[in-house]
Amino acid sequence: MIRGGFSGSILHVDLTHRKITIEPLDAALAEKYIGGLGLTIRLAYDEIKPGTDALSPENPVVLGAGPLVGTSLPSSSRVYAVSKLPTSNTIGWCGAGGANFGYLFKNAGFDHIVIKGRADQPVYLKIIDDDVEICPAGDLWGLGVEEADAVLRKKYEDRIGVLSIGQAGENRVPFSMAFVDRISTLGRGGLGAVFGSKNLKAVMVRGTRGIKVADRKRYKSLTKSFLKTIREYPYLKEWQDLGLVKSFPMIPKEEYFGMKKRRMACVSCPIGCKDLVEIPDGEFKGLTKHTSSVINLYTPVLYGFKDYRESVKCMATIDAYGLDMFEFFGIMGFVRSLLDNGVIPRDLPGSEIALDSLHSMEEWARKISFRDGFGDVLAGGFKNIIDTFGKEAEKLSPALVKGMHPYAGPNSALPWNLFGTMELGQILDPRGPHVGSGGSPTYFARRPLAVFPKHLTRMGVPQEDIKRILPGYGSPDQQQGLEVGKLLKYSHRWFTLLGSLGICARAAINRFYNAELCAEFYETVTGIQTSLPDLRQRVDRVWTLLRIANLREGFAENDEAPPESWFNTPGFKNYLTDEPLAREDAEQMIGDYFEEWGWDRKTGTPSRSLLKELDLKEL
Amino acid sequence: MGKYDIQVYTEKCTGCLRCQLACSDLTSKAFNPLLSKIQVFISNSGECTIHFTEECNQCGICVDHCFYDAMQKNEKEVDK
Ligand code: SF4
Ligand code: SF4
Ligand code: SF4
Repeated sequence: MIRGGFSGSILHVDLTHRKITIEPLDAALAEKYIGGLGLTIRLAYDEIKPGTDALSPENPVVLGAGPLVGTSLPSSSRVYAVSKLPTSNTIGWCGAGGANFGYLFKNAGFDHIVIKGRADQPVYLKIIDDDVEICPAGDLWGLGVEEADAVLRKKYEDRIGVLSIGQAGENRVPFSMAFVDRISTLGRGGLGAVFGSKNLKAVMVRGTRGIKVADRKRYKSLTKSFLKTIREYPYLKEWQDLGLVKSFPMIPKEEYFGMKKRRMACVSCPIGCKDLVEIPDGEFKGLTKHTSSVINLYTPVLYGFKDYRESVKCMATIDAYGLDMFEFFGIMGFVRSLLDNGVIPRDLPGSEIALDSLHSMEEWARKISFRDGFGDVLAGGFKNIIDTFGKEAEKLSPALVKGMHPYAGPNSALPWNLFGTMELGQILDPRGPHVGSGGSPTYFARRPLAVFPKHLTRMGVPQEDIKRILPGYGSPDQQQGLEVGKLLKYSHRWFTLLGSLGICARAAINRFYNAELCAEFYETVTGIQTSLPDLRQRVDRVWTLLRIANLREGFAENDEAPPESWFNTPGFKNYLTDEPLAREDAEQMIGDYFEEWGWDRKTGTPSRSLLKELDLKEL
Repeated sequence: MGKYDIQVYTEKCTGCLRCQLACSDLTSKAFNPLLSKIQVFISNSGECTIHFTEECNQCGICVDHCFYDAMQKNEKEVDK
C-alpha cells in the first residue's frame, strides 16, 4: 500500500476539447513501474498509438516526477517527459532537474500529467493546487524562454515552477527543447516542437498540499547518516565552488569565477552545479544568463569563437529561442561544408555562415527559429538538408544516429575518443544519441579498472555480473578486461532506477547514493515493501518496455548500426588499450548489451520468457 | 522565546530550499516549502532575500540543513 511519496493523482489535459480530468493514481501500476521516469514511460506506452506523427495532436506528452521528488532527500529534483520526439521519431525520455517545478507539481497533488490534443490558440496551463486552467498565452507567445518564464513569475508572484518553450518550439523546429525553471533543459530530440505543435507555451505550477513520508522515524535516521556523509566529503567545497568545471578542466577558472554571479542548485541539492553568470566587461557587460551547465556556455568556443563573452552571448540567444545547441552547431557546420564543397550555391543562404562569428550564429539561430528564408530549410534538420541537396550532401554529412548528431566522439562537438558506455549509448539509448553519464565509471575519464568493482557494487550490480563485465576480476594471475556492452546495461539500469525515484544522476551527487540505499529510501518514503532485487526487476521492466515501445514504432537493428566515421582515422579508441575501435568490436558490444538484458542478440527483441518474467506479456 | 540568533549570508545562497523543506516538515509533518517559516527568494537577476515569518521560533533547524553556509546560528543570550 502507498502511504507516502506519491501525490496520488494524474492530471489529464485535452487541449483540443479543453477538458481537464483528474484521476487517482493506479497504485498497483505505480508499484510495478516505481514512479517517475518508470511510470512516465508506462503511461506514455499506453497513450501513444504506434506510428503517431510526433507533431500531431494525437501525440501525447506525459510528464512525471518520482515518489522521492518533493522530499528533502538530496537532489530529488528530477522531472521527466516522455513523448514521440520529432528529430529521431523515437519514443524518447527527456529529463531535467529544476529549481521549483518538480516539488511544486508534486505539492499541487500530481505525480503525472498527460497532455493531448492541440489548442486552437496559444495557451499555457496553470496548475495551482486543484485549480487547473487552460489560459490564453497571447502575451507569452513570441517570447524567449527566460522572458516567458519571467512574465509568468511576475504574474503569479514568483513562487511557481515553470516549464516553457521558446520561439523555436513555437515554430516546431524539430530540434527545439523545453526548459524547466529557465535553468534546466528538457528534451533534446524536440520536446519543444511537440509543445509548440500543441500551441502550448508553458506549464506553470504551485502547490501546498505537502509531501508525506510513510515511515518518518526511519527516514530521519537514514537521512541523518546520509547527510553526514555528504557533509564530511572532503571535496564538497570544491564541487560546490567549481561545479561541472571540476570535470572539464579546459575551462579557464579565472574566466569562470569572473562571470559567476551565483551558484544555483536544484531543489534539495546540497552540491549545486547550475549557475547564474554575468558578463563582467566588454560589449555585453551586465548580461546575465541562467545555465544548466557552464560547460554549455563554451560550446561556441568549441566551434571557433575566440572570446568567451561572445560565446556566452551566443548561448543566451540560442537558449532563449530554445534551440538544441549541439544540433544547431552540427547543422551549421554541415551547411558550411556544403558551401565550401560547392554542393550549395554560395549565394543561396542569403547571409554569411561563419561558425566563429557571433553575428552570423545569432542571425542563423533567429532564421532557423522563425523559419525565415533559408533558415526554414535548416530548421528541418539534417534529414531535410540531405533530402533537399541529395546524394552529394549525404556524402558530407557528419555521423548521424536516428537522424541526430551524436555529440561525443571523433569529429563531434566533444572530441572525446575513448569508447565507453556513454559513447556506445549514443546508438543504444532508445531515444537516440542524447546521453549522459548514467552514473557509469567510464564517463569522460579513463579510470583505473581497480576502482570499477566498488563503483559497480554501488550501482547495485551483483557480484556474479561484475565478473562478466570485468573478465578476470577476482583471480590474481589473470589480467582484467572490460566488457563495455555488458556494462552499458547496468549503467542504463542505474540511471533508470535513479530517474524513477526522482534523483539526479550527475556525478557530483550520484556518487553518494547506492542501490541498496535507494531501495531503503523508496520503501521508507512510499511504504511499499521493497528489496533491491525487487527494485531491479521493476527497473528491467521499465527499460524493456521502452525497448518494446520503440520496436513497436518500427525501429530495428539497422537503426542501431554505428556510424562509419567512428572507425575512420582518427576514430574511437578502445577504452582500455587505446587500440583503434573496429566495427566488429562495436557490433560485438551491441550484441553483448542486448544479450545482457535478455533480448535477442541480433535484433534486440525481448524474449518471450523475459516478457513473462517481467509481467509484460499482455503488452 | 527562541534559542538562536540567525545570521544570513545571502551571497552564498543557491536557492536549494533545503531550509524550507526542513522547516515545513517540522511544523506540518510534510514537506511543503511554501508553508515554511523561512522564505528564500532569488530574483531573475540573481538578487537573494532570506526572510523569516513572524511565526518563526528561531529553533535553528533550517540552519542545520543548509550546505552552503548561507546561514549561521548563535545561541541567544538568555536574560536571567
Ligand atoms: S547536481 Fe546539479 S543537476 Fe543535479 S540536482 Fe544538483 S544542481 Fe541539479
Ligand atoms: S528557525 Fe526554526 S522555525 Fe524558524 S524558519 Fe528556521 S526551522 Fe523554521
Ligand atoms: S538551505 Fe541555504 S542555500 Fe539552500 S535555500 Fe536555504 S539558505 Fe539558501
